[in-house]
Amino acid sequence: MTVLDARRVAGPADLERERQALRKRRSSAAKRVRVCIGTGCAAKGSRKIYAMFAEAAKELDAGVEAVTCVGCHGFCERGPIVVVEPGEILYQRVEEPDVAEIVRETVVGGRVVERLLYEDPATGEKAATADQIPFYKAQERIVLAHNGVIDPTSIEDYIAVGGYAALAKALTTMTPEEVLEEVARSGLRGRGGGGFPTARKWRSCRQAAGSPKYVICNGDEGDPGAFMDRSLMEGNPHSILEGMTIGAYAIGSAQGYIYVRNEYPLAVRHLRGAIEQSRQWGLLGEDILGSGFCFDIRINRGGGAFVCGESTALMASLEGRPGEPRAKYVHTVESGLHGKPTNLNNVETWANVPAIINRGGEWFASIGTADSKGTKVFSLVGQVVNTGLVEVPMGITLRRIIEEIGGGVKGGKAFKAVQTGGPSGGCIPAEDMDARVDFDELTKLGSMMGSGGMIVMDEGTCMVNVAKYFLNFLRSESCGKCTPCREGLAQMLHILDRIARGEGRPGDVESLEKLGKLLEGTALCALGKTAANPVLSTLRYFRDEYDAHIFRQRCPAKECRGLFNYEIDPEACKACGICLKNCPVDAITGQKKVPHVIDQSKCTRCGTCLDKCPFGAVLKV
Amino acid sequence: MPTVTIDGVQVEVQKGATILDAAGRAGIWIPTLCYHPAVSSQAACRLCMVELDRGDWKQLVTACNYPVRRDITVSVSSERAVKARRGVMELLLARAPENEQLQALAKRMGVTGTPWPTVSVAQRDCILCGLCTAVCEEVIGRAAIGFAGRGMDRAVSAPFRQPAEDCIGCGACAAVCPVGTIQVRIHEAEGEVEISPFKSRAKLLLCEQCGARVVSVPVAEQVLSKAKIDWEKFRRLARLCPECRRKSTAAALALAAGSPSG
Repeated sequence: MTVLDARRVAGPADLERERQALRKRRSSAAKRVRVCIGTGCAAKGSRKIYAMFAEAAKELDAGVEAVTCVGCHGFCERGPIVVVEPGEILYQRVEEPDVAEIVRETVVGGRVVERLLYEDPATGEKAATADQIPFYKAQERIVLAHNGVIDPTSIEDYIAVGGYAALAKALTTMTPEEVLEEVARSGLRGRGGGGFPTARKWRSCRQAAGSPKYVICNGDEGDPGAFMDRSLMEGNPHSILEGMTIGAYAIGSAQGYIYVRNEYPLAVRHLRGAIEQSRQWGLLGEDILGSGFCFDIRINRGGGAFVCGESTALMASLEGRPGEPRAKYVHTVESGLHGKPTNLNNVETWANVPAIINRGGEWFASIGTADSKGTKVFSLVGQVVNTGLVEVPMGITLRRIIEEIGGGVKGGKAFKAVQTGGPSGGCIPAEDMDARVDFDELTKLGSMMGSGGMIVMDEGTCMVNVAKYFLNFLRSESCGKCTPCREGLAQMLHILDRIARGEGRPGDVESLEKLGKLLEGTALCALGKTAANPVLSTLRYFRDEYDAHIFRQRCPAKECRGLFNYEIDPEACKACGICLKNCPVDAITGQKKVPHVIDQSKCTRCGTCLDKCPFGAVLKV
Repeated sequence: MPTVTIDGVQVEVQKGATILDAAGRAGIWIPTLCYHPAVSSQAACRLCMVELDRGDWKQLVTACNYPVRRDITVSVSSERAVKARRGVMELLLARAPENEQLQALAKRMGVTGTPWPTVSVAQRDCILCGLCTAVCEEVIGRAAIGFAGRGMDRAVSAPFRQPAEDCIGCGACAAVCPVGTIQVRIHEAEGEVEISPFKSRAKLLLCEQCGARVVSVPVAEQVLSKAKIDWEKFRRLARLCPECRRKSTAAALALAAGSPSG
């Protein structure tokens, strides 16, 4: 206990003193190596690389101040990423054999290892630091500002970059009402998908009758291809705790919960460590910073049900009941967890709060569009050159995100659509690429902001197949409580399956629309109400593709097996006979040195020849 | 007391009453499946959709659990509400096309068939309304059955799909089941009652005098354990004449009924 008490900061002055001391110890000339251990880089072996750097630093007398693990840089496509200070030299795709060279050349010698720098594929120019890379240039980082900079397992790192200053400011110089006002001025809207004004939610909860009141951080990120919240929880857990504590102060809550999926073990570990540290520092728990305000947070791990990301299902799960939604005719701010007023916000929403308190609501509101303020984090995935995590100001066009930051479509193919908003979102076609990223604008286009998944699709993507994929996901994740979601999704998938097999019938599209509208109107929760969106939005923009499947048994994107033909390109065919031998129906004829030919009347379009051809001579036509 | 205008009929209801309560007072029928006055509303079947007029926009809500907190205008017969209820019924009919109770309700709603094929396998026509699990937990206090699986795999079951150890064979689940999925079976030879399809069995209590079946043994035990006899009060009442005893009981009842918690 004495150790804990010794580190405890008794008030804002103490915290400031600690911060200055920490900063003094970290001179800017010090040699430091930062290794990304976010899940993406870790999957590519960055943990081993970190261990090797740490080992090398120990043996070295060159005075390496620290080798630190840091959270996701966002440029996951180019991982593992290693940054060397001083100079902020960013090395990408670092492999184990490169470690010795980086230590020898850069850490000791102060020279740059050219071959490990990012090279702009368009200009061939090398970029030594992050701000020279186009991927980072158009970004504006508020919540991700310290991701990749600080060690997420060290509260000292967070404090050194200004952490908990907002909490100190709020607790000692502002009333809860003033905190609410500041957040209201910022125009912050919920980043989990709904886009509800955060301050209004907080105020409703503050004014609701009943106690205790609870605040919850929703970290049950489950959209396919989305990892915004994970990267934040892994890379900067203290910013979430700080945001929650400020929110709790404004609302009048003493207990918070973070609901995080158990499939995010690193996020759980980092959050746990962060909570432990904040308690030791007196930034969480009893009498925070000597202000008399008490607030504590506990972590609950989710079992992996997608529907538990829905607020009422999440609260049911927190209570130990099956994670199923309930009607929200009485809002959760009035009757939520255990029937008490409960304020739930998404990870990213909470992480925005410290910056708003530090720099003011007006500053935050100066970024973005009329009704969507600040920035938004997206996970940019799919058929795009630079996959990764990006934070952009609201109001930026989809085109800039995909072309400038994302580097355009992979493999020089044509862009077809971008899917936003997770499985319940929609697909936005190429014509609307100049649309601005804004809650209301995306909704108008039949999609939504959602929590920030952004999946880029090229010309080889069949939109019927995309709709089928998402619908299948939602059907498997439907809790089954209400009739329309449970039965309706199964019916819709049944029809889509038929269309993708080339057995679609006239009237199928109308049936899909009818079921989609039924779900929208009658399903119990937001998951069910929006579940038909993937179908409705692809129908809106790509109706001709559905028609081609139904009326002509053709898949224009050549993705649905059986709805296109295989042919052998006589120029490319080397007459090796592999396809001929492997064809299960003997539809291929040919001899040595004579290009082979597929007999279309015998071909069952199984695709074996395409898979087996070593020369890429089999074409989809 | 807020006023609910429902299809033009105005009724006053207690604050917190549901639209379904208001419709009952107004004499307007709204079809329901998962609603039962004995248990809390789950609003799972979505059959009781009505259209709520919010002034500048209209919203479909479930009548069985929408709490009336201020004056509202509701339409049961609007095209959108009728279409919504019909759509839900069509999906249920696709799940259990042969079920007579469901067909009868559909007919009363003016739904004669479904355009959808049967794509889900229902356990003996179960429409997963949840009344059985709710009555078992909330009224009987046993929670012997619950939902297992999710989505299309959802099914009512005892834990691990084994005969339920907590089942007392009361048959309340069968009594509330709107589609006859759950049945009470008597096994004469063994002197047992079975709650089907949960395979749980309980011994039957037979009348000491004539041998007729009374209830299951665990039900009798639970009832006896719940019944509390206040011997002091019993003695006091026993000293009164029948007339005074009746008056005393009536007075006590009136007092209990008048209290807000009673």
